[in-house]
Amino acid sequence: MLEIKDLHVNYGRAGILNGLNLKLERGETLAIVGESGAGKTTLGLSIMCLVEGRVSGSIQFQGKELLTLPKQEMQAIRWNRVAMVFQNVNNVLNPVHNILNQVAEPIIEHRLSSKNEAREKAGELLERFGLPRSRFSAYPHQLSGGEQQRVLLAMSLANDPELLILDEPMSSLDVTTREELGNLLQQMDGDCARLVITHDLDTASRLSQKLAVLYGGRIIESGPTREVLRYPRHPYTRALIRAYPNMTTVKDLQGIKGRMTRPVSGCAFHPRCTQAISICRDKVPQLIRDNERAVACHRGGIITLLSTVNLSKSFGSLKAVDSVNLNIASGETLALVGQSGSGKTTLAKIIMGLHTPTDGSIYLEGSKITNRGKEFYKRVQMIFQNPGESLSHRLTVLESVMEPLEIQGTGTKEQRRDKAIQTIGEVELPRTEDFLNTYPHHLSGGELQRVTIARALVMDPDLLIADEPTSFLDASTGAKILKLLLNLQEHRGLSILHITHDIATARKVSDRIAVMLDGRIIEEGPSNEIVASPKQAYTKRLLGSASALRPT
Amino acid sequence: MHIDVKKEIRQSGIGRAGVIILVLVVLIALLAPLISPYDPLQQSTDSLLAPSTSHWLGTNHVGQDIWSQLLYGAGTSLLVGFGVGIISLLLSIIFGVSAALIGGVYDQIVMRIVDAFIIVPMAIVAILVAAYIKPDIPVLILLLSAFSWQGGARVIRAQALSLKEMGHISASRVFGASGLYIARRHILPDLGPILLVEFIYGVRRAVFMEAGLAFLGIGDPMLVSWGVMMRDAMRFSYLDVWQWWLLPAGVMLSLTIVGLTFVSHAAETVLDPRLRGAEVA
Repeated sequence: MLEIKDLHVNYGRAGILNGLNLKLERGETLAIVGESGAGKTTLGLSIMCLVEGRVSGSIQFQGKELLTLPKQEMQAIRWNRVAMVFQNVNNVLNPVHNILNQVAEPIIEHRLSSKNEAREKAGELLERFGLPRSRFSAYPHQLSGGEQQRVLLAMSLANDPELLILDEPMSSLDVTTREELGNLLQQMDGDCARLVITHDLDTASRLSQKLAVLYGGRIIESGPTREVLRYPRHPYTRALIRAYPNMTTVKDLQGIKGRMTRPVSGCAFHPRCTQAISICRDKVPQLIRDNERAVACHRGGIITLLSTVNLSKSFGSLKAVDSVNLNIASGETLALVGQSGSGKTTLAKIIMGLHTPTDGSIYLEGSKITNRGKEFYKRVQMIFQNPGESLSHRLTVLESVMEPLEIQGTGTKEQRRDKAIQTIGEVELPRTEDFLNTYPHHLSGGELQRVTIARALVMDPDLLIADEPTSFLDASTGAKILKLLLNLQEHRGLSILHITHDIATARKVSDRIAVMLDGRIIEEGPSNEIVASPKQAYTKRLLGSASALRPT
Repeated sequence: MHIDVKKEIRQSGIGRAGVIILVLVVLIALLAPLISPYDPLQQSTDSLLAPSTSHWLGTNHVGQDIWSQLLYGAGTSLLVGFGVGIISLLLSIIFGVSAALIGGVYDQIVMRIVDAFIIVPMAIVAILVAAYIKPDIPVLILLLSAFSWQGGARVIRAQALSLKEMGHISASRVFGASGLYIARRHILPDLGPILLVEFIYGVRRAVFMEAGLAFLGIGDPMLVSWGVMMRDAMRFSYLDVWQWWLLPAGVMLSLTIVGLTFVSHAAETVLDPRLRGAEVA
């Protein structure tokens, strides 16, 4: 019904929309989400042909090209067949007419039906949006923001449009009104196609069946709302969800590194993307469709960094790790949860090459790992369970952190030293000469743990396996370390395999949780789903016994 | 975890005594050319003289000055001792550490060879081989080394095996470290005290073996050695010469071995806390 092809909109020299493609069918609701400045409103205005600025491309509405339509014909369509609810409620309503007349006005103007019939219809609409008859004669300034929004919605529907564009329809409303209006909009009859423009994922998830993510004037990901929100494919979509406070996801909030800048060559997101490669800087990625989902990314969306296939390890008759299949995506935290003895650490050691698997294989970015050379260890690092033991008592803090660089033969001695000191600072340890020359037995548990983290991070690995990184620490130090890892993930796109027996910790730090019991992965899924609706009895038991504040 | 072997040895009375004895013997060996009145090999017609102001310990059956021989003998003893100590320790380290780190079939082969050597009594085999090839000092050092690294290799392997499982070595491996790096940077420093003890064992054994072989008349009879002195003196045991010929050589040999034993005992105390006496606690 609506098809937008290669839409460009420029204000002056800045490109607001850069070749946007979109398709909307009858009765469908599509949500366009993006941060402010992504070009969402411009998109709505261009469909209404109300945009100021140079527009090129094609917008076809029921086969008619809107961009080249004569003014009069466009006017017949605008408000009549295509209606829009604007973002800013305050300035839209005419202050000298009461609301009933305002809602009736477009009906009268376009359909030329009698005034009474028009008023009748307007009254019905207002009532449907929860305004009682007694308020019909009120003037806009007498209404609250929520009531004004209802009037606008009623007004936009006055002529039974075939396409309704809702620009931030809920942004000025409180949560309970949102809920109510959301339900009303959902119940609206099926023929009208709707385009919901919003930065608010809650609104998008409430109102839409399909979701498109707008960044830098292009759609970078689209698909069924439920699936996109559950398993985002584009790094930006995932980051957007991570930054959004809501009652569904359980991981701590994370921002997106950098700021939206434009113009940007290549992929608009590449300066903020943690998995960008050189092509991302040079070439604009096309939106590639795969069934119902589509993603515009040179790397095909979030890449799978490490995967294990049927990985097994037996010690005699004991199956410590039994046919484990795991995938760890770039920039993702996977929590491996299970009681001690369930094979978590063995699994980690197999990945690191400290144990040889009895069966199965490991893939790093799709290529099978056979011999682990220095190249592998540069990308995959591990924080061992016991920080005191994993540091040599003969090496000072600085020497310990420099050791990986020495083994790898990175740079000159000076550069190694600088890098080590910088990393020591990053994990919030003092950079004084005194501290750098301290031996491990003079450090506290928290400091030891930080030194091991600095040592694992000094080579800028892509994947960090953290084996109970907080088990030796008291809560406040532990929290800082977990925050530190989350920040590193935000800034470097670090993937983390977080091994823990504590599902309460896993819930806060991970995107996905895999539950391990007797060497097998018995349950795996997005953290919120595992925590909210566990399927296995063992997972339920883990959840039941997890830390909580439960005064009796 | 920090064990300062030097300090521990200094602090123990036995260790100090051992070090003093060893230092004296080493000084004698080094200064022998300066302080000995005669060339130890220079023969004269004045044979079997009793001690006098010109010959403090008299002369032997071919007229050589016994005092000079005694001083020079220290050098021979220590040269063989330390030579064997160093070479056999190196062999112990190479085979012990590599067996521990590489493991598998290689480990099996090395350890079975070690077993084979240990079962056969070293003294007898050394005597047989030495009797056959009549070794000079360098060959003697190599010969004794070849028979004395096995025990050390076994001890070092065992220790390296337990070190290998330690966290910081696993950590080093996951930074991509090679076996050589791990051996050099992490295992050898932690083996420190054991290496010292094994080294002293080697030295002591070699000093004893050298004297023993010489006493039995195997090897170079022209060598200035305490063992040769004792053997020659024994042939004249019906005379009084044993007092200034046999006895001083025997005492010097015993003193050297006692000194080495004292030092190794002190070092062992460091390694095994159960051996620590009350004075340390």
